[in-house]
Amino acid sequence: MATTNTKLMTAEELLVMPDDGYRYELVRGELRKMAPASHAHGRQASRIGRRLGIFVEDNNLGETYAAETGFVLARNPDHVLAPDAAFVREERADDARDVSGYFPGAPDLAVEVISPSDRYIEVEEKVAEWLDAGTLMVIVVNPRNRTAQVHTADGVIELTEADALDGGDVVPGWTMPVADIFS
Amino acid sequence: MTTTKTNLMTVDELLAIPREDYRGYRYELLRGELTKTISAGFAHGAHAVNVIVNLGAYVARHSLGRVVSAGTTFLLETDPDHARIPDVGFVRQERVSSLDEMTGAFHRAPDLAIEVISPTDSLTRVSAKTQDWLDHGAPMVIVVNPRNRTAQAHTADGVIELTEADALDGGDVVPGWTMSVADIFS
Repeated sequence: MATTNTKLMTAEELLVMPDDGYRYELVRGELRKMAPASHAHGRQASRIGRRLGIFVEDNNLGETYAAETGFVLARNPDHVLAPDAAFVREERADDARDVSGYFPGAPDLAVEVISPSDRYIEVEEKVAEWLDAGTLMVIVVNPRNRTAQVHTADGVIELTEADALDGGDVVPGWTMPVADIFS
Repeated sequence: MTTTKTNLMTVDELLAIPREDYRGYRYELLRGELTKTISAGFAHGAHAVNVIVNLGAYVARHSLGRVVSAGTTFLLETDPDHARIPDVGFVRQERVSSLDEMTGAFHRAPDLAIEVISPTDSLTRVSAKTQDWLDHGAPMVIVVNPRNRTAQAHTADGVIELTEADALDGGDVVPGWTMSVADIFS
């Protein structure tokens, strides 16, 4: 497939696009449209974001970011992804504080909540992209099975409702029962 | 949602559907409800066969049981009938008898189910099916992702992610069997 470079969009162009109610990501310069999340999806993402945010703030560990935040994983072509929740360590968040536009780089922790229509290969590809770009931990929440998969460079751990998320070295001390995501 | 029992199909009815009425789909029976699964693309079929040839040869050489191809029906529950089909299935020797006596669906789960992901498969659906195999007693489920060239091996102990540099390992389920993940995609 031949793709002409002239059609590719940059992160800066994406940022100034008029708000049409949709969320967008930039997949190696190509615009990917995402429908607004269902209320269950939004609630579950918010649950995690809230619990994570409170813990991070109480312990001065860094910054957490809401669902629509764009992270620039690569340039030329620009690759901008938006997780459902994200955390960046204090020193990296400080360094980026004066940067306008999307966050320059990957978050240290990315959380993805799966929608029924999300394709298996696309979710796995996004997880691999986060990890390749330097994200230390990716949490993939599967509401249908009420499970969560935690991906790190060491591999993947599957958690059930009886287990708890654990921030490990990335968000030291943070834990959250998986059941609380869905309660 | 209310479902009337009268609409539910049994696995015997499923297997009695004439081939010409399959219309290019494969079917599973999810608690009595006929559910279409998509036909596979060429690469998908080739990946599944790579596993079948490798696993099948090993299993035959060591008389460990039977390896079956995609389309083989496993009846996980009855009344309502709940039947799934893996892309590749393995059943241990002690659970199989003469093939002449096994013309219908296999009752219960395979010992190993292998699923090869198609581009349009949703993660929700794949995860539900993986969980279904495990919940019904399959000791191991291997999910192959051709796009990333990875595989996930699921057991009751959890999940192991394998890359092209790694190898599938039959563990306690197919003792001694290993297959390079890269060979699935070759």
